[in-house]
Parts: sequence; structure tokens; C-alpha cells
Amino acid sequence: MSENILSVKNLVIHYETDEEVVEAVNNISFDLKKGEILGLVGETGAGKTTTALGIMGLLPTRVGHVIQGSIELDGENLLEKSPREMRKVRGKKISMIFQDPMTALNPVKTVGDQIAEVVLLHERCSRAEAMIRAQKMLAMVGIVPERYKDYPHQFSGGMKQRIVIAIALACEPELLIADEPTTALDVTIQAQILDMMRKLQKEHNTSMILITHDLGVVAEMCDHCAVMYAGELVEYGTVEDIFDNPQHPYTVALYKSIPSLDKDVDRLHVVPGMVTDPSNLPSGCSFSDRCDKKGDMCNKHEAPGIVDLGNGHLVKCLKYKPEVEEK
Amino acid sequence: MLKYILKRILYLIPILIGVSAIIFALKTVTPGDPARQILGNDATEEQVQEKRDELGLNDPVLVQYVNYVGGIVTRGDFGDSYRTGEPILTEILPRLLTSAKITLGAVMIGAIIGVLLGIISALKKYTWIDSVVLVISMFFQSVPEFVVALVLIMILAVKLHLLPATGITTWQGYIMPMLCIGLSAVAGYTRITRSSMLEVLGEDYIRTARAKGQSEKNITYHHALRNAMIPVAQSLGSNIGNAIGGGMVLETVFGVPGVGKYIVDAITQRNYPGVLGGALIIAIILTLINMIVDISFVLIDPRLKTTIISGGAKKMPKKMKAA
Ligand SMILES: Nc1ncnc2c1ncn2[C@@H]1O[C@H](COP(=O)(O)OP(=O)(O)OP(=O)(O)O)[C@@H](O)[C@H]1O
Ligand code: SF4
Ligand SMILES: [Mg+2]
Repeated sequence: MSENILSVKNLVIHYETDEEVVEAVNNISFDLKKGEILGLVGETGAGKTTTALGIMGLLPTRVGHVIQGSIELDGENLLEKSPREMRKVRGKKISMIFQDPMTALNPVKTVGDQIAEVVLLHERCSRAEAMIRAQKMLAMVGIVPERYKDYPHQFSGGMKQRIVIAIALACEPELLIADEPTTALDVTIQAQILDMMRKLQKEHNTSMILITHDLGVVAEMCDHCAVMYAGELVEYGTVEDIFDNPQHPYTVALYKSIPSLDKDVDRLHVVPGMVTDPSNLPSGCSFSDRCDKKGDMCNKHEAPGIVDLGNGHLVKCLKYKPEVEEK
Repeated sequence: MLKYILKRILYLIPILIGVSAIIFALKTVTPGDPARQILGNDATEEQVQEKRDELGLNDPVLVQYVNYVGGIVTRGDFGDSYRTGEPILTEILPRLLTSAKITLGAVMIGAIIGVLLGIISALKKYTWIDSVVLVISMFFQSVPEFVVALVLIMILAVKLHLLPATGITTWQGYIMPMLCIGLSAVAGYTRITRSSMLEVLGEDYIRTARAKGQSEKNITYHHALRNAMIPVAQSLGSNIGNAIGGGMVLETVFGVPGVGKYIVDAITQRNYPGVLGGALIIAIILTLINMIVDISFVLIDPRLKTTIISGGAKKMPKKMKAA
């Protein structure tokens, strides 16, 4: 167990607004081993970003709440840390790359200073040393260090994302969370960025959670894959398990929906039916409204438990409980 | 950059032609004979006619206008006062200095208090502090400046004898006019600062800064504030305009010998060269200030540098180019 860098257990996150409670993350558990990449897939609204923000301790104040569970990084429960202690973790031990590089950088600060900032925060070094480090980071992500003094608007989207990656990796974090790092980019640039991320991840042996809509990206990059639906982890396994032997009806439907030629980056609801509303979950299995394997028990029964199909291939579906299969 | 400045100066020309033409037109339709006014009721009809010739009042209006504008452009001559016979420019320049001091002080008071209150209420949004700030700034915005002025005179001068009621013979005389004009602008700055601060604090790059492990204090002052100041700076130009407008009235209330009072006096005395010259000079100054404010954005917002230097207001293409 000690090789697990991250261990999330029974995590429940709600957004509580005046009108409603959104059950964004419902009792999910997963582990991440050192140096591995875990792919987190699921449709829009599945709770992927919420999970990531929960780990970062960056849920929107007042609205987002961790209701229960634990998030252990190197055996330390992050949820028990004070805000001050969490600031030492963020940027240093865990970094996050956000979805939209166009807005992720401060428009009135030079990109170099924005990289140097995180170095100054976490490393004992002078301003000059931080600058040199920032220039090295720029070079590492394929941008000439001479552009240190340029502002974000002087870069293209792909280059901005490279800069965001440079910020995230500047302090050599143990864990990198990349939330759809390429969704906002042109298809050709997506590949470049992903190649670069994988190369850097290998070089630094960084553990990584890669959030994406794109199963193709998971197949290419990841060791394990977790499929989320309506705040739940419905299937988890090695990439081989998930790709060669998908078990949950939702995962199967996701495969069917992959467009053959052009990867559609728009947020289409590719699986037939509407995405389940996390503020109004059905009783029993949350996927039951859209499931083509649905049995009589699926709505009546309490939510399906996790079944291990062997070797840690987990699935959360009543099909794999004896009661349903006998029918 | 130079091209941009030149272009802005060229904009002055149509503005000034417009302002001068309107005031000139007013002069021709208002009743009363300036020549008679200058000479008094005792003067003979002959003397008045002579004076009219001397002032060029018998020429067609268009000729008068062209002569006037020509005088300004070639000699910097805004005409002579009907009242004193002194050149308008000589009369106005020292008053301009007085008005400038008051306006500048007022804008500074308004901007500093307003921005501070705006930051506070943004950081404390939806608490009682936010509400109190809102009420106070709304109060000063809705009460007319001259009412505030009279109340201040009542309290500070008449009752407490802290400040002189009128006049600027001592430096204390400046305080009340500055306060009145400044306070009325506070609400505007507070509202702009609060809303832009709240908007900026919700931006993705603030989340990026949090993800770096930056403290909330540094996020507010190093990341949010400068971005939030962009709309505040943009409002500065029109706020200075308002302050000058407010100054016109208040200079009369406080008996401050500034340009505002000069123009008001000139109007009551039918001293048209005074009105015209005063209005034109203020129009020139306002345009120049707006230009300086616009240029100073570049210092705050690096994105403008490229657009301004390259001359056009071309936006960055939305679609990204290759990395
Ligand atoms: N600040 C918030 N307040 C209320 N509800 C929220 C908030 N942020 C997210 N939600 C809700 O929580 C649910 C999960 O959202 P989340 O952003 O985690 O989804 P996601 O899987 O990242 O989707 P996407 O693929 O679109 O990024 C959604 O139903 C969303 O509407
Ligand atoms: S539990 Fe029932 S409804 Fe849910 S996924 Fe399995 S078969 Fe479908
Ligand atoms: Mg998301």
C-alpha cells in the first residue's frame, strides 16, 4: 500500500446553493500508484472536475463541501490540513492544469513571472534563481526562454497551455492533475501537448490524474482508467480491462459513441438519453434511466455495490450481483 | 504610439469647431447689445456704433466666427473681455491653476476613498460591511453637490469655525470644495471597483494562483487588483469631466476664483468672449486629459500596447494559431 501516492476513500462532495443540493461526487474511492497515470473519464457533469478540486482543496468556498471521506497523499489526509498547510501542498506536491488555457494565465503579468511565482513560493531561492528556473521551464515545454518577458496575449492557445504546464511542473510535484488539458485546443496541437506531457511525466516519474472525455487519449496515455457517471465511479480497472473487456453498460455505451473519424471536442451527450441530473438522482442505480441492460431490480434495489471481477477490475452494476443475474 | 497620440490630437479639431460654433450661435440669438453694455447707458448712439465696428459686431456672423477662430489658431488670442478689456487668456490662466488644484485634489480624494471602499466591499461581499459601504456611497451620490457644500459650510465653517466658509486666501479654503466634489464621485469609483474586483476574483487565473499555493492576500493585491483597476482607470476620464462640471457650480458656492466661477460670471455679464474662451479652454483640457488617461492604460494593461502601437484596434484572433 505504501506505493500508493494518492488514496481517495468514500469521498462525497456536495454543492449547496440556496435552491438545491447538487450531489456532485457520491462515495468514490480509488488509489493511484507512484508514477502511474489514471484516466478519469465521463460525460459532462459527471463530477470529474469536482473530484479534482476536492483533492486540491479548491472547491468554491461556501458552496462546495466535502461531506465525508478521506484523501490521503503519501499517507497524510489532506482534508485534515489547515488552509495554511494546504497552501504548502498546492503547487509543490500537487499541481493542477485547468481546462481552458486561454483564461488560466493572468493577463497583466509576464509569463515568466507567473512561472517564477510558484518557484518563489515553494523553494528557498532568490528572485534571480527563480527567474533562471522559470526560463529553464519555458525551454522544457518548448518555448524559447527569451520570451520570459512576454505577456499571455502574445502566445497562441497551445503555447499558453505549455506555459500552464510549465507552471504546474516547476516545483516537480509528486502528483499532477490535468483537467481536460487539451479539450480547448485544435486537434493537431492536442497531440503535441499530450506527447509532451507524457514525455515529461516519464522523465520526472510524476503520478498523474488525467481527466478527459476522450477514450482515445486514455488508451494512449494511461495505466488505469476510472469511469465516472453522475458522481459515482461505475467502473475501474487497468486500461486493458476497460478497453478489451468493458463491463458496465455505461462504459460499453461510451465505446459505441466514439465517432470513428473526427474526434468531436464539443460536449455532445454522446450516449443516448439525457445526462442524469445530480441534484435529482433516481432511486437505485443512477444510470437506470438510460441503461439498455436495465432489469427489474435496478430502480427498486438500493444503489448497486462495487463488485470486483478479479485483479481489481471493479464495476458498480447490479448485473454482477447474483440476484439480478438469476432473473 | 506617436501616431496614436497625433491621431488623438487631430480629434481635437472637430470637437473644438463644434463647441465654438454652438456657443457662437448662442451669442447671435441672445438679446442685448454688448457694445451698449460696455459703454453704459450714457453713451451716444454714435459711440455705440463705433464700438460695434471696433468689436467687429457689424460683420456677418460667419466672418466674425472665422476671425475668432483665426485669432486663436494664429495668435492664441481668445479675444478680449467685454468687461475689463483684458485678453481672455490672461484672465483665465491664473484661475485655471486654482481650478486645476481643486479638481485634482477632488479626483484624488474620490478615487482613493472610492477604490478603497470598493475593495473592502468586494472582499466582504454580502456582509454588513458591504451594505454599509453601499449605503454611504449611494448617499453621497444622490445628494446634490451643492447641498453637501451648504451642509459642510454650516457645520465646519459656521458652527465649528474650523474652515473658512468661502474664499481661498488660505490653504484651508481648498479643503471643502475638494471634499464636496470628491465625495460625490466616491460612489462611482466604489461601484466600479467592487464589481470589477468581484469579476476578477472569479476569473480562472485567480484559481491558477490558488493552485500555485499563493496566499489570499497576495492573490488580492498582486493578481486581482491590477486587473480590477482597468475599468476604474477607464472611468477616470469621464470622472474628471464630472469634477470639472461640479466645480463650476461649487466655485460659485464657495466663492473660489476659478474658471467655473469666471464662466458663470461671464454668462451673467453677457461677456461672450469670456464664455466662449472659458468653454473652449475647458474643452481642450478635457480632451487632452482623456487622451492622457487612455495612453496611461497601456501602463496597466499590456494587451493594449500591441493594439495601440500597431495603430488599429485589431483584436487577437479568437481561433488559436499553431503552438
Ligand atoms: N459551483 C457550483 N455550484 C453548484 N453546482 C456545481 C458547481 N460546480 C459544479 N456543479 C455541478 O456539479 C456537477 C459536477 O460538475 P463537474 O464540474 O465536476 O463536472 P465535470 O465532470 O467536470 O464536467 P465537465 O466534463 O463538463 O467538465 C454538475 O452537475 C455541475 O452542474
Ligand atoms: S444496475 Fe441496472 S440500470 Fe444500473 S447499470 Fe447495471 S444494469 Fe444498468
Ligand atoms: Mg470539468
